[in-house]
Amino acid sequence: MRGFFLLALTMPVGAQEIYDLLLKNGHVIDPKNKRNERLDIAVGKGRILKVARGIPAAHSRRVVDASDYYVTPGLIDIHGHFGADGVNPDHNCLRNGVTTAVDAGSAGASTFAAFKTAVIDRSKTRVLAFVSGAPDLAGKYPEIVLGPRMEDSLADLRPGDILTNIYGKTAPPLAEARGKGVILDSGQFWFRVAVPALKQGLLPDTISTGMDKNSLLLPRAAMTNVMSKFMAMGLTIEQVVERTTLGPAKAIRRPELGSIDVGGVADLAVLELRTGAFAFLDSGHAKLTAGKELRCVLTVRNGAVVWDSEGLSLTHWRDAGPYSNYK
Amino acid sequence: MKFAIVCLTAGLAWSQPLYDLLLKQGHVIDPANGIDKVMDIAVANGKIARVAANIPASEARKVIYAQGLYVTPGLIDLHAHVFGYSGSIFPDDSALPAGTTTIVDAGGAGWRTFDEMLDRVIRPAKTRVLSLINIVGHGMIGQAFEDNVADMDSEKTAAKIIERRGHIVGIKTAHFGGYGWTAIDRAIAAGNLAKVPVMVDDKILTLTGRTSKEKLLSKLRPGDMHTHVFNDRQLELVDRFTGKLQPYVAEARARGVLFDLGHGGGSFLWPVAAKAMAQGFFPDTISTDLHSSSIMMAESDMPNCISKMLNLGMGLQDAILRSTVSPAKAIARYPELGTLGEGRVADIAIFRLKSGVFAFKDAWQHKTLGTQKLECVLTVRAGDPVFDLEGRGFPEWDKAGKYEVIR
Repeated sequence: MRGFFLLALTMPVGAQEIYDLLLKNGHVIDPKNKRNERLDIAVGKGRILKVARGIPAAHSRRVVDASDYYVTPGLIDIHGHFGADGVNPDHNCLRNGVTTAVDAGSAGASTFAAFKTAVIDRSKTRVLAFVSGAPDLAGKYPEIVLGPRMEDSLADLRPGDILTNIYGKTAPPLAEARGKGVILDSGQFWFRVAVPALKQGLLPDTISTGMDKNSLLLPRAAMTNVMSKFMAMGLTIEQVVERTTLGPAKAIRRPELGSIDVGGVADLAVLELRTGAFAFLDSGHAKLTAGKELRCVLTVRNGAVVWDSEGLSLTHWRDAGPYSNYK
Repeated sequence: MKFAIVCLTAGLAWSQPLYDLLLKQGHVIDPANGIDKVMDIAVANGKIARVAANIPASEARKVIYAQGLYVTPGLIDLHAHVFGYSGSIFPDDSALPAGTTTIVDAGGAGWRTFDEMLDRVIRPAKTRVLSLINIVGHGMIGQAFEDNVADMDSEKTAAKIIERRGHIVGIKTAHFGGYGWTAIDRAIAAGNLAKVPVMVDDKILTLTGRTSKEKLLSKLRPGDMHTHVFNDRQLELVDRFTGKLQPYVAEARARGVLFDLGHGGGSFLWPVAAKAMAQGFFPDTISTDLHSSSIMMAESDMPNCISKMLNLGMGLQDAILRSTVSPAKAIARYPELGTLGEGRVADIAIFRLKSGVFAFKDAWQHKTLGTQKLECVLTVRAGDPVFDLEGRGFPEWDKAGKYEVIR
């Protein structure tokens, strides 16, 4: 009797929940919570409700079998160009598992309001921004405008600022930058610089795409493609996931992002590690051949499946009942 | 010393390659020229210079090998949205990675707004952007505008087409929610004045007084296009009770009315497409209706639309025809576009036909599983490789020299 009473006390109220979405049996990599194992993830009302083994499939309206895949926090790309002359964030981020994208300076003090209306407010992707020369904007839009600076030259950076394009043509002094407490971000890069730098242990703190309307085409600066490039240069999948989730969340000082926290927003990426013969280009238009490639097969943003290339969450049309125009 | 320099210069002049680019050993599908076999394609000055069985690699500045891949004319997407509409996409980042080198904006601009589209979208894009101008003067900017018959001016629309013939290839009428035939009649009147086709995207399930049969048999002219062919909200293609193809559809086709895929976010339904294609009814032109809702879950880009057709029984050669020659003809841009004929602009796409098990999703987010899927690996626009997924045209990084960007 006493045991029963204690059990009743420790049971949280409303523990029996109905989930909107259950990702079952995926290999979860969640660096912040030190998860690197097969787990189920239950989602409801846009939030992560439970992360555990053996969550019953019967408790969810929609179930995705993620056995063949890795499941990670929604990826964070801290260097993209999403202004009028850039690329569309949803079309190019969500399809690659990126649920938070940071615009690197498309908008200035005078154009930020227009950028917010035209891009940020209209995107499903969480779009944040580095805005240079407008210190008051971060106070006015603390949800969007980031504190640290991002530059591709070390000169003006302070500890906690972000140095990007670190393996670019004019490779900055990385060891000095790291000593100074500056965060090292990959951005646009050259294998001819990156391969020797990685061999010397100068790994990036964050992996980003530097995507703009040119780099998206050549060299295909999309997130899973960039992650594949770093894996081809020797990083493990755990290392690239950390540098696209926890690493960037710390860099932009958004600790609530980049992890799979119970109660947190349900932004998730489901990634497939394919084996075959692949080749990847860099910003100098030289290639690296590799035997593995990471692709995003499903993206959850705010609890909703927004990308599902393998149809994992969908019903076959022949099983979907009679069709009607009044859906 | 002087002698050596002279020799060197002479040597350079001799070895100056004939071609800028050579695509070797790909399986060329060029329906316009009846080619369906392994061939080499040489490009010079942005144009197709030679198509032959074995062109020496030494004759080109850059050689790209395409063994095991299909080489086709750059695809022509007859129906997409890149201006005006709130869900518009950027042409380059979505078209070029899909092998689409010509994208036709379906009604984003009207005669009042076309010049803005020219400056903001058409001229800056690497993709060739053409326009089906909306019969609505303000273009496709919302239901209230698209219902306003006072802004449907046939004369002014025709005048803008005649002024901008290089960019405007026809007229679009879409989404008209009012009663009767005003939108379609005015679009066709403008088409008669400017001698261009009309693309129709119409409602039949609301109280419009319009029917598929009347529209197809008494309104549309030969060469006019009905888009969203596999969505029975805009066109009743198959009888919703018996599943049989409507007889008036075959009659309209026999008369020369064209049926465009126009996949979109609400306009490709497996039940309709599967029934129609099983009865031999294929769309004349394969197009995406690409915009922000169709580009995500339904993935209605050109290679996916083609893959969906393949998995419903269309042959690859036929699908390429309906994505190159047929749309070019529909907008009177054949044979300038849609072929790999010598002397034509070098717009070329290279695809891998993957085998495996793949999911394909319709506009209602129901899937089917198929065993072949087309993937674009390289796109050439006006002789320039603008997309090269695997770096086929570029050297390995450790053989690439110091720091120059490789062209």
